[in-house]
Amino acid sequence: MTKYLWMNLRSLLTNPYLLFWSIAFVEFWVFMWVYVFGTGIPNVEAAVLGYCATAFGPIVILSISSAASGIAMTILYASKSVRYITKYTKLSPSRFLAENLLSSVLALLVISGVMFVSLLGVFSSKFGLTPLPKAPIGLSLIILLAALFEYLLSLFLSLLLVYLRAPRAASFISFVPLVLGFLPYISLWINFGSAVYVSPFNCIASLCYYYYSGDIPPTGGFFMPGANTLVDVNLASVSLVGWLIALILIDVYLLSKMRGVGMEEVRII
Amino acid sequence: MIAISRLQVDYGRHQEPVLKGINTALDQKSLILGPNGSGKTTLFRAICGLTNVSSGEILIDGKKMGDIYATIGLVSANFEEVYTLLMTDCQNLISLYMDLVDGDAGVAYDISRDLGLERDFLKKRRINELSAGQRKIVCTAMALASKANHVLLDEPFEQLDPAKKGKLTKHLDSYRGLVILNTHETWLLRSLQDWLVFFMFERLMYGPVSVNDLLKAEISFSEEPDAVLNFRVSGKPVSICKGIGNRPLLTSLENLDRIYELAESEMK
Repeated sequence: MTKYLWMNLRSLLTNPYLLFWSIAFVEFWVFMWVYVFGTGIPNVEAAVLGYCATAFGPIVILSISSAASGIAMTILYASKSVRYITKYTKLSPSRFLAENLLSSVLALLVISGVMFVSLLGVFSSKFGLTPLPKAPIGLSLIILLAALFEYLLSLFLSLLLVYLRAPRAASFISFVPLVLGFLPYISLWINFGSAVYVSPFNCIASLCYYYYSGDIPPTGGFFMPGANTLVDVNLASVSLVGWLIALILIDVYLLSKMRGVGMEEVRII
Repeated sequence: MIAISRLQVDYGRHQEPVLKGINTALDQKSLILGPNGSGKTTLFRAICGLTNVSSGEILIDGKKMGDIYATIGLVSANFEEVYTLLMTDCQNLISLYMDLVDGDAGVAYDISRDLGLERDFLKKRRINELSAGQRKIVCTAMALASKANHVLLDEPFEQLDPAKKGKLTKHLDSYRGLVILNTHETWLLRSLQDWLVFFMFERLMYGPVSVNDLLKAEISFSEEPDAVLNFRVSGKPVSICKGIGNRPLLTSLENLDRIYELAESEMK
């Protein structure tokens, strides 16, 4: 590994814009969940755990989606030098991609960890209980897959801009992960039904709920009265993995379409 | 050695080529002189892989430029866009790039300090927070500290004061590898007498000629039989020839954009 991995990680984790949108901005939602939306939650362990599990998915997705927007911008910024870097320095195209992926996913995991601790802290302060996840290993795996998904989405958006020669759309496109990150919030009031399996964001939120609480979540309408259909956890897992594979294939395709030689071609004209 | 054959670069199908079939071999420290827009920077960008080559071939130490990946010590350059891998302060940027090329950060700091940029100053600023001249200094210092066989310097004297130009010239002259720099300033010839000179006019390359031959050379706007070099600007023949004392000295022009003015006045 080169210094690039650690310096990119440090650069992401000290980027004030990225930290503001992925942590400070999302903290506002943590407090809203606990102190505004959660006023009617009884101070009973099962109820608090269920409510915390409902909050965890949307909060973490919003947080890492915000960070993914920042990561998309850093990939675009680096793309100007990538072609030279991959020729005349130690970073081959595959090594650059590997180090960029690893540092970005690590940054997303750190941010997820901060939000987890923060959520627990605020819940403990409000309810006097610490609602720990029922299946921490499963939850960690889903967070890892979520971070990988967000990175691949950022890479896809950056490559699309380079492929379309549309760097002026960078500001707009980079906000796409953040905007889509609100989908799990919408599903709190609207039942997505089978459409939940189409949205990777909703699949992540559903799986987070499942591993956090140990219960199967509904397909939506958490806060709406009436019976809801339950999520097929296996199908949600397959959908998320399918999205990961699809994004990997699309990213590889876009890389190969950069006049057929790969990552070294990625740069803004 | 950098060997270039039939190199053509176009930015669009319907536009005139930016380089029109360059054939040359760069195997000694060389200056590439030419007016603005003559294609000097594009030539360097093509060697660095930063510009798409439409046709032709570039060989660097015998390797095809297109086939080179992750090879350190071959080429370095002072283009600012090369140093945009991370948004970080200049000290971190130097540390990162020197790690990526096994370069010597101490050399980068020495050159920067010689040219007026202390390490403490670099520690507090990102490259986009520096003035254009300061950015050029940092990028040139990193290129020279990389210990590459071929260092391509695009207008390294741009926006430097005369004292700093002199100091940088000494660094370039003492560099162990091959330094190839482009400029349109002819005063440099007096300081780099062991170097070769190439000329670029209207996207074509001419030369080489030794600096010693050029120091006393004069410019004539007609075909001269004893010319060291012949080329055309604005359709008019230009000869660089040995001095006979009644024509403008090349070194008195300060920069080669003046050739166009002289050619126009000759035509009138």
